[in-house]
Amino acid sequence: MSALLRIFGAPAILFVRTLAAIRRDGVNPRATMVQVVEMGSKSSLLILSGLAFFGAVMVTIAWAQARKYTGNITVVGPAYFELMVREFAPLLVAVLAASRVGASTSAELAAMSVNEQLEALELCAADPVSELVSPRLLASIISLPALMVIGTIAATTSASLVVTFAFGADGSAFTDARLLDPADIVCALVKAVCCGVFIPLAAAARGLKAKGGAPAVGEAVTAAVVDATMGCLLIDFVVAAAFLLIGV
Amino acid sequence: MIRALGAFGLSVARLTGALALVLGRTALSLPSLDRRELMRSVVIFGFRSLPLALMAAMLIGSTVVLQAGVYAVKFGARLYTGWAAGYALTREFGPLLLGLVMAARIGARNAAELALLNINGQIEGLRGISLDPFRLLVAPRVVGSAIAITSLGSVTFLVAVCFEAISSYYSLGLPLRVFFNAFDEMLRVGDLIGGLAKTLAFGLAIALVSTVAGLRARGGAVGVGQASASAVVLSCAAIFSLDLLLTPFLTRLFS
Repeated sequence: MSALLRIFGAPAILFVRTLAAIRRDGVNPRATMVQVVEMGSKSSLLILSGLAFFGAVMVTIAWAQARKYTGNITVVGPAYFELMVREFAPLLVAVLAASRVGASTSAELAAMSVNEQLEALELCAADPVSELVSPRLLASIISLPALMVIGTIAATTSASLVVTFAFGADGSAFTDARLLDPADIVCALVKAVCCGVFIPLAAAARGLKAKGGAPAVGEAVTAAVVDATMGCLLIDFVVAAAFLLIGV
Repeated sequence: MIRALGAFGLSVARLTGALALVLGRTALSLPSLDRRELMRSVVIFGFRSLPLALMAAMLIGSTVVLQAGVYAVKFGARLYTGWAAGYALTREFGPLLLGLVMAARIGARNAAELALLNINGQIEGLRGISLDPFRLLVAPRVVGSAIAITSLGSVTFLVAVCFEAISSYYSLGLPLRVFFNAFDEMLRVGDLIGGLAKTLAFGLAIALVSTVAGLRARGGAVGVGQASASAVVLSCAAIFSLDLLLTPFLTRLFS
């Protein structure tokens, strides 16, 4: 219970403060676009290659088992596609983005914090939350769903290519949307948006609190990435359970 | 364009060279490993990460059943949930997700510590009094974190399988006996060993990559931050690439 509070408490408070800051000052669109490039487009290569590799691995594993028990791998194609779109791709994209975005955001903010640049901002009558946190929050909400779409496409494409060329079966079964319905896509998007809200807040909460020299920066980054990763795993679990409970 | 390509090639070559250097120096100093430092890194990287690993195991186990179990019911394969969930866990999700969480915990921490020693000039200081920093600092960390992650992996698998059973009891109404029957009959020891081999490989990769990232750090607080951030990102990339390389090999070996 205390672990939950530690992971979600500070980000929740920061979320409320950021919302207040956005209502008061608005968001600088230029800074937001800079962060979209920083978080979204610079993470896209990692997510693209990671999910492409993951898709190939999953299909290799499914093939090894299917050969033993059912004999025909294309039977599992449509179910694989739905599982990938609804569950696995959002989970892995969120965890990868938590590492990449969480680490860079917390490193940047922690370095600013120990160099007393936050106090300098306050002296210029600028609010650090509205200058630093709100553009990152907005940018992450924009980029995580986009990254999830990229990751899902990469995972399914590599899976069907591996099935076609390495196993010599019909790979198009792995992009067969027979089982897919709108609820699956909504579920995936809800996961992406929730993680998109959580990741920058967790990283910023740890980064802004860093005090005292270079060791504090290292600790802040470690704690931020751990918080962001575990938080995303937990969010994923809760959203999956919620969608299961309402039965869609 | 050509310049960007060249810079990319150079940085890849630099990274590979640094990884090979660290691996080689570690292997060379294995016989004269510093025991105390090894124990310290096993405690710090392994024992202190235990709560995190257990929490991750609970989440991984319940999530895998929640996500995949629904399909088992849909396809009328409810009785085989134990097999499917256990196989997915030991072969892919357990090693992968544990590796990613540990890249955050162990990789970032190791890189930050080494970067700190590096920018404070303490590593040059060790060289100055003719002590080998690789034997004293680097090799024990690499070996220690590999040991730590592998042992955490076995505990994690155990806890995660228990949570899979509990979660399929509550979400699918599957009796525990049926779950463990399918688990017992259709899984082999090879599957578990394959998963642990993956975890060991991921652990070594995390240790090597984060050491390289830490030793390359330059500049003050900003340098430490960048070192630990790049340690996490490079570890994730290394984990996914190793996963792709190892899986066909392991499935052929143990199937």
